[in-house]
Amino acid sequence: MSYVAPQEFAAKMIDAGESKIFMSTKDTLIRSYMAGAILALAAAFAVTIAVNTGNFLIASVLFPVGFCMLYLLGFDLLTGVFTLAPLAVIAKRPGCTWKGVFRNWGLVFCGNFAGAMTTAVFMAIIFTMGFSQEPNAVGQKIGQIGEARTLGYAAAGWAGLLTVFIRAVMCNWMVSTGVVSAMMSTTVSGKIMAMWMPILVFFYLGLEHSIVNMFLFPSGIMLGGDFTWFDYLAYNELPVILGNLVGGLTFVGGMIYATHYRTSPKRNAGYETAKVAAPAE
Amino acid sequence: MQVQNADLKADQKAELSVSIGQHSSAGLKQQNQDFHGSVASTGQTLVLKGTALALADGISSSDVSHIAAETAVKSFLTDFYCTSDAWSVKMAGTRVVSACNSWLHGQKKPGASDDRGHVCTFDALVFKGRLAHLFHVGDARIWRLSGETLEQLTTDHRVQLSASENYLGRALGLSNTLDIDYREIGLSSGDIFILTTDGVHEFVSPKEIASHIASAADLDAAARTIVAAALEKGSDDNLTIQIARIDHLPGREAISILDGADMLPPAPLLHIPSEFEGYQILRELHASHRSHIYLAYDAETDRNVALKVPSADLRGSADYLRRFAMEEWVARRLNSPHVLKAGQSSREPEKLYVVTEFVEGRTLRQWMNDTPQPDLETVRGILEQVVKGLRAFHRHGMLHQDLRPENIMICNDGVVKIIDFGSVLIEGVLEAVPGLDDTEILGTHQYAAPEYFLGYRGTELSDFFSLGVIAYEMLTGKLPYGDKVSRANTQKAQSALTYISAASLTQRVPDWVDGALARLVHIEPVKRYEALSEFLEDIRRPNAALRPDVKASFAERDPIRFWQVVSLSLAILVIVLLYQRMPA
Repeated sequence: MSYVAPQEFAAKMIDAGESKIFMSTKDTLIRSYMAGAILALAAAFAVTIAVNTGNFLIASVLFPVGFCMLYLLGFDLLTGVFTLAPLAVIAKRPGCTWKGVFRNWGLVFCGNFAGAMTTAVFMAIIFTMGFSQEPNAVGQKIGQIGEARTLGYAAAGWAGLLTVFIRAVMCNWMVSTGVVSAMMSTTVSGKIMAMWMPILVFFYLGLEHSIVNMFLFPSGIMLGGDFTWFDYLAYNELPVILGNLVGGLTFVGGMIYATHYRTSPKRNAGYETAKVAAPAE
Repeated sequence: MQVQNADLKADQKAELSVSIGQHSSAGLKQQNQDFHGSVASTGQTLVLKGTALALADGISSSDVSHIAAETAVKSFLTDFYCTSDAWSVKMAGTRVVSACNSWLHGQKKPGASDDRGHVCTFDALVFKGRLAHLFHVGDARIWRLSGETLEQLTTDHRVQLSASENYLGRALGLSNTLDIDYREIGLSSGDIFILTTDGVHEFVSPKEIASHIASAADLDAAARTIVAAALEKGSDDNLTIQIARIDHLPGREAISILDGADMLPPAPLLHIPSEFEGYQILRELHASHRSHIYLAYDAETDRNVALKVPSADLRGSADYLRRFAMEEWVARRLNSPHVLKAGQSSREPEKLYVVTEFVEGRTLRQWMNDTPQPDLETVRGILEQVVKGLRAFHRHGMLHQDLRPENIMICNDGVVKIIDFGSVLIEGVLEAVPGLDDTEILGTHQYAAPEYFLGYRGTELSDFFSLGVIAYEMLTGKLPYGDKVSRANTQKAQSALTYISAASLTQRVPDWVDGALARLVHIEPVKRYEALSEFLEDIRRPNAALRPDVKASFAERDPIRFWQVVSLSLAILVIVLLYQRMPA
């Protein structure tokens, strides 16, 4: 049997969240750096496919490889720790505080950003032959994506911010479902299958993922996209981070905690008073 | 190809096998005061206890020393195998030899001379797993064959007065306390060990012994020829020799401590209500990704029991299943009112699951939630019972390694019990299967001792740390180092950890109790209490030595910096002095 009962993985999610809070600074940074770098690479891969084939579906179908790689290697994305770390505090695990959660989020953000930037610089070098030529077709495409998803939102004003926020909520709803689904399976192939589906959905719908954006937009700026760092941070990255946080925490972490963990029997439930039913002789 | 595979399999499955040859002779003397023996065990005894050889030589000045020699060897070879399987060979061996020493010494009549008592030398060799364990008192010798000669592994306890006069410095039965030489040596296949009394090794050179062993048809024949050679060379003492050859060492993977219990297929998750191997499943008590626990009724014993089943998540992990199967092994060996007992059923299980007594009550975690502000006396009462339970583990050479409030139950009648043995480390088993659980930290972030995070194996002091954290948490609701212990995985990071004073968090903890807690959860194991009885005493009566208001001296707090400062000032002094001495 390679499927884990929901009660089991609910407890496992909380344990996973707890271990994020208790992780040393060095480990947290390394793991998030690598996660950011690998995910960014997968994004570059997907854009390349989309440009070369002209079919965004093929790109979406293949994009989850990056996510599967980083999950199986035990690396952490900001979207994942948004969902998992708070559960340990909500479940009142000793020593788990909001301070510890924010520390973890802060470190994972820094690691993811540095990782994505590393890939962005590497890919920019590849797309422009070491900044000696105009960006190739893929590079130009990345620049255009960045413009549409910053200045486009900015042009729509508050409605634009609401849209980007909701797209980010839905994004982490899907991505964290992927993280949690992976815990349900005990085999590597099962984990990959469980993760693949929601990631595919999120990518094809063009939802806003904070770490993918940490790659797309800085590369866009480097490759001659017509928008500024301020546009990127104010009209994209910040609302996306908030949206990812809300989406992961409410639609995935909170829901599974409430329905599978709170309702599962406790070791001590009602022992003190209730006598054990007399067994049939 | 297939044949080779089959061979390989057989090879891996093979257990430790040792051939033994031995011979003893009174020689020119009337009586043989030497005594020797060996036990070649099989099955689980071989895995957990090993094969043992013992040799004793009674002193010639006493006419009862042959009784001493016989008693020493016989009691070692029987009692050693009766000690707990969980004990290490060192612990079991030294305890048994010490007991025998006391008995022999007790035979001495008041005022009688030491020379006339029940006194003998004693040497024992135990082969277990991939190690040889040596016990040695007196002037018999244990050797290992090395090339064409012998390497002496023991030191003679002999005091030389003059060229012709000498006496035994240490022996069994000589005094009421005994200092035993113990040593362990790694084995390789084909190793040959030799035990000799002075009647043999004082007359035949190591080289000759080695060449006799090499040329003889079997080990018994070799033993006989060596004794004959010693007699020929004029040996006037009793002569005994034992030779043991390691024919085969157990494979690192193939050792089964549980005799196949860990090979049973894991029990399925159970439905309620249902019947399972004669148990009536009544209710689910607990479910997590480590295990599922059900309340079940056992008609055979007419009792409610707790039935624990491996989780779906981890049933694929061989390590987890082995530890799971080990839980019952542990529970059966511990007998304390403060430790959960194993179930009593006589039925042979067909699946892997663990049955224990059913305890009605709540976990310490629940108790802490229910009693956020307990008074000191209640906490002391609970701690005293936990300590009793923990002692039962430590007496058996076991470490709990995962002590936390969820693993402590408070029964409705007030008895406190330690439950869950899934992380227990057993010294005796560790020797049989070295390298077990080497990679994983089995404890929990909040309660595991800091040394685990540096990659060290735990000691009893690590369990003390966990207990200290629990005590601290019961009183304050917080952890003594916050969430920082498990993050500090270098020596430097650990030395930066600071203890948060419990007295500063709550009025209910007096300074002196705080001092005792601080010592029990000290980051450095050596600075913790050596025994839990001291801790219990210190939380009952103020200990003047633990006044937190008196700061530790600079040298004690930071010895490295202290000596740096000392060295620097001395260096300055030296320069000043040199400068003064220089001719103007």
